[in-house]
Amino acid sequence: MRSICSFPLEPEAALDLLAVLEQDVGVDAFLAPAPPDNEPGFLAGAGPDRELSVTLDTGPEELAAFAFADERPTLGWLAYEWGLSRLGAATAKPCALPPGLLRKYGLYLSYSPGERRLDLLHPGEPEPELRDRVARLAANVPPPAPPRAPARFAGAVPQSLERADFERGVEQVLERIRAGDTYQLNLSIEFTAHTLGCDPFALWRLLFRRYPAAHYAFFRHGAHALLSTSPERFLRVKGGEVLSQPIKGTLKSARSPAPQALVETLRNSPKEDAELSMIVDLVRNDISGSCSYGSVRVPAHKSVFQVDDLLQMHSDVTGLLRPDRHVFDLLAEAFPPGSVTGCPKKRSVRIIDSLEPHSRGIYCGAFLMIMGPRDMDSCVAIRTARHEDSGDGGGRLVFCAGSGIVAESDASNEYHETLAKAAKFLRLIEELQ
Amino acid sequence: MRLLLVDNEDSFTRNLEHLLATVTGLTPALVPYSGFTPEAAHAADLLVISPGPGHPREYPAYLPLFAPDAPRLPILGICLGMQIINHALGGEVARLPGCVHGRAEAIDFSGRRVRVARYHSLSCTSLAPGLVLDAATDAGVPMAAHHRDRPLAGYQFHPESFLTEAPEAFILHALHLLLPA
Repeated sequence: MRSICSFPLEPEAALDLLAVLEQDVGVDAFLAPAPPDNEPGFLAGAGPDRELSVTLDTGPEELAAFAFADERPTLGWLAYEWGLSRLGAATAKPCALPPGLLRKYGLYLSYSPGERRLDLLHPGEPEPELRDRVARLAANVPPPAPPRAPARFAGAVPQSLERADFERGVEQVLERIRAGDTYQLNLSIEFTAHTLGCDPFALWRLLFRRYPAAHYAFFRHGAHALLSTSPERFLRVKGGEVLSQPIKGTLKSARSPAPQALVETLRNSPKEDAELSMIVDLVRNDISGSCSYGSVRVPAHKSVFQVDDLLQMHSDVTGLLRPDRHVFDLLAEAFPPGSVTGCPKKRSVRIIDSLEPHSRGIYCGAFLMIMGPRDMDSCVAIRTARHEDSGDGGGRLVFCAGSGIVAESDASNEYHETLAKAAKFLRLIEELQ
Repeated sequence: MRLLLVDNEDSFTRNLEHLLATVTGLTPALVPYSGFTPEAAHAADLLVISPGPGHPREYPAYLPLFAPDAPRLPILGICLGMQIINHALGGEVARLPGCVHGRAEAIDFSGRRVRVARYHSLSCTSLAPGLVLDAATDAGVPMAAHHRDRPLAGYQFHPESFLTEAPEAFILHALHLLLPA
């Protein structure tokens, strides 16, 4: 894409501009923190003008036909259920969202906090009216509205599985592991909070300020707003070089940076090691179908980073996309992401469907940035909430959190790990009552 | 040479496909268990039975391959694949106390000490008549076996895992054992 024009902007002003455009022409965005101060950098699409609503039957060729019809990047998301259907394990539970959505935009915005620079981008000629409107606003960002709470929450936060039910579910998973039906399985809880007046974009910004993570994403779909605060990359492809970075292994650490001893505790835990190793082999498998023989490697194993007051461990799995494959072939073969399903995937997702009362929807799906047939980035939609506006000023914020169950798992510990992953949302809900 | 790899709906089969392809220079034909027939297997020079979930009794389509009068077909079984061979020939496959998943462990194999990846909830608790134990863990859990008279071999561990040291050697070893020189 080429830069149409650029503007010097401070990070908060760039986000203020995005907030105005979000209301004005519609914006979907990906946000990532830049070192050293975690200032926001973003890529956004403004003024969506083409859309593909994905169905359970939409295959990779149809996705490719939409995305590669012109040179513009495609932004979008795929729900967990799209993957279930492809595995022949479709769920009978109702879903609030369609199985996925891809969009193209009249204009693209990228912001680099290091250079304090906002660029308006388009591969060709943008529609002049949209271009001028955005450029006018960028040149003179309206002052932000006086600060007020991005949302008010009311009442308790019911869970799809209360503690005893979840722990019983873990015991059932352990029995299925002993029987050899699954080797590891991710079990989740859905949380629902009622909102009285919610500005989802402002809520997303607040979350980023408090809990910066590498794969924030924001999408609107009708009454729904999707808020990703994910720390996990699913698949990146750069000129055909594939990278996946599955996360497994979690340890609470409120102190930042975490003491080195705690990092070593995580790295040396046989249970967390087994959890991650298993998913690395699973991800190797999932990308191998689309990668050249012998090209799949694990150049980094058991790297530790800190996010959301947690220490997390991840590995790098790489490969070379076969010359006759494109990014949607890779996505379709690897979906839903292995780190949030279990192993082996097909039998594990069926067990998940039988144990979880909720449908996952966007949770454990993926947010996508498609740049070309051999270029993309995407994240696993964990730590992700969906806000549904009820149209009368109220609404619901729905989010899930889960934990990987392995043979050595303890039901009570897994429950606490699950709550720790939901903590950033739960704390905010309590604060904004 | 024609390689047939049957996928028992596992999530490691593609890793095995890549390993077989890099060692042999061939492109294995990949068939899901649901599409597998013993007739199709006999068109191959080597059949590889993949790992997978559950007990061998859930995979009856393989049984005709092991009948006493079945045509001679070289077969390599990995994990569940080894258990399928053992079960079909009359051995016992049962739960392994304290199942092991995603762990690397050193075993003695063919005169050397080598680290292999283990993923299994079940194990061959008694070997079928005719099967010879080639390797076991230090605790005695069978890790490799072959048949005395027929071209059948199995690995309980996962040569295709990134946790396994020198994975190519295990495929070469099996090829030498199973295929005519």
